[in-house]
Amino acid sequence: MISVKHLTKVYHGHKAVDDVSFEVERGEVVGFLGPNGAGKTTTMRILTGYLAATGGDVKVAGFDVVTESLEVRRRIGYLPESVPLYPDMRVDEYLRFRARIKRLPSRRLRSMVGEVKERCGLQGMGRELIGRLSRGYRQRVGLADALVHDPELLILDEPTLGLDPNQNRQVRDLIGDLANRHTILLCTHILPEVEKTCSRVLIINQGRIVASDTPEQLKLAQATGHRIRVQVKGPASAVENALMTLPHVQSVTVLKDGPWVDARVESAREIDLRSNVFDLVVQEGWLLRELREDNWSLEDVYLNVTGLPNKSGREIQP
Amino acid sequence: MRVFLTLLRREWLAYVYAPSMYWVVVIFLLLMGTSFGMMVHILAEGAATGSVVRMLIGESLFFWLAMLMVVPMITMRQFAEERKLGTVETLLTAPVGDVAIVLAKFSAAWVFFLMLWLPTAAYAWLLARISPESAPIDFSALMTSYIGIAAMGAFFIAIGLLASSLTSNQAVAAVITFAVLCGYFFWGFMPQFGRGVQLQEVGRYTSSLMHMLEFSRGVLDTRPLVFYLSVTLFLLFSTVKVVEAQKWRS
Ligand SMILES: Nc1ncnc2c1ncn2[C@@H]1O[C@H](COP(=O)(O)OP(=O)(O)O)[C@@H](O)[C@H]1O
Ligand SMILES: [Mg+2]
Repeated sequence: MISVKHLTKVYHGHKAVDDVSFEVERGEVVGFLGPNGAGKTTTMRILTGYLAATGGDVKVAGFDVVTESLEVRRRIGYLPESVPLYPDMRVDEYLRFRARIKRLPSRRLRSMVGEVKERCGLQGMGRELIGRLSRGYRQRVGLADALVHDPELLILDEPTLGLDPNQNRQVRDLIGDLANRHTILLCTHILPEVEKTCSRVLIINQGRIVASDTPEQLKLAQATGHRIRVQVKGPASAVENALMTLPHVQSVTVLKDGPWVDARVESAREIDLRSNVFDLVVQEGWLLRELREDNWSLEDVYLNVTGLPNKSGREIQP
Repeated sequence: MRVFLTLLRREWLAYVYAPSMYWVVVIFLLLMGTSFGMMVHILAEGAATGSVVRMLIGESLFFWLAMLMVVPMITMRQFAEERKLGTVETLLTAPVGDVAIVLAKFSAAWVFFLMLWLPTAAYAWLLARISPESAPIDFSALMTSYIGIAAMGAFFIAIGLLASSLTSNQAVAAVITFAVLCGYFFWGFMPQFGRGVQLQEVGRYTSSLMHMLEFSRGVLDTRPLVFYLSVTLFLLFSTVKVVEAQKWRS
């Protein structure tokens, strides 16, 4: 559905997107992640034909985004990051206008506008002036617009930006529903959302793709070892040193000092240290209140590949 | 065609919904009303020298003020507002050609401009009612004046549209348009003050002041009409190119 080869975009001599290549198959739901300024919006704008690339070859549904732009635009439902809307129009009026300029046949107009309104939770809002809507409702109108011509491909740029947790949840559920009928490229900072809905994750950092795989595979590949989390009552430095001396320990990270020391212990991949830690605590006469596996989350993968510090805390390498 | 009509309707409604456009109507009617009032005054004093239509349109300072001030106010929002709201992104990523977008914006502005002139037809009717003379107003001169205004208006609006496509600030678009229109208007005095026969000749062909004086005399010359049509098309073409070029911009 999407084929991007060696895409580059330069703004005033600054490379926002640098030799990016990826493919998205029909029916896939791909999460597009990366820190702010990584080049996600730029890539999406090039896919939708709003911006022209500096270099590279970009195709959507087999059509070139520059030379066959109209064909590409017909097939895309796009929700831009800022959710731009005309404040002087009413919701129904806007959706009908958008459906017409996206060439939805007249006979389907009424039913489609009704259907997308229902799917986006806009029933009864048809007469509202867009300029008076709250952020959450604006987001829904933007989504309804993206869906109104029943496009094959949805490109959603941070659809949950600025929503409260409740609205967030609703949009996430909606996207989950959409995943069955559309190919989706979804840019977001909400990693649990991605883990739940996306079959694949692309991570971009400073204009380059740094990871591309299913969330499970990424976690497996990035996880350098087996991690456990332990909370012990004892002198912090003694606890830290004692944990370090256990066999197979690769690193100990103290996440929190205080009477209760909260530490993360990492060992080689197949080795589960939980019983050893328990024995150690008993032997030293400390108290134990938590001892559990601490698997890699998508967030850890993300922080790791984008080169940001891996949570807070001191880290000691043996 | 359906897409064009949809866009045109949207652009037209944007004018109708915009409160600022009522001010445009008010300013326009004040200026043209003043022009009419002065004409009636001159007629009443019996000091009239030229034709009535010419006093109302071609020679009136207020007529020219209306032409130069109202067009920038009509066109300034067209592209600048879309850029400011960001809606240019949804507009340009819809499967619509840039030509249709530019033509729809132009047509809506032009129709709005023409609508402004409708009430001025009432002046002629009013004059016919209050004047003791049998035929105070030359209706054919009024018609040719309207044709001239429509053609010149298209040209002025195309200038405004191009200016609006160059910025995301409406005020900047309005100032650029006003400056260009004023410059063009004063260029119209070239036939009188220009040096050299050639300059005077070019001046005569392009002077909006001369054109309007002729139109308001009831003379329908096709040369100025062809001139306005061709420069309008050229400006619209440039606007399409500007909109396209913005995809490549930085
Ligand atoms: N119109 C623009 N002009 C100049 N630089 C831009 C423009 N848009 C984005 N950039 C720069 O390009 C980089 C990528 O931006 P963007 O694609 O918006 O990132 P993201 O969506 O991942 O946050 C950033 O460094 C940003 O400052
Ligand atoms: Mg972005």
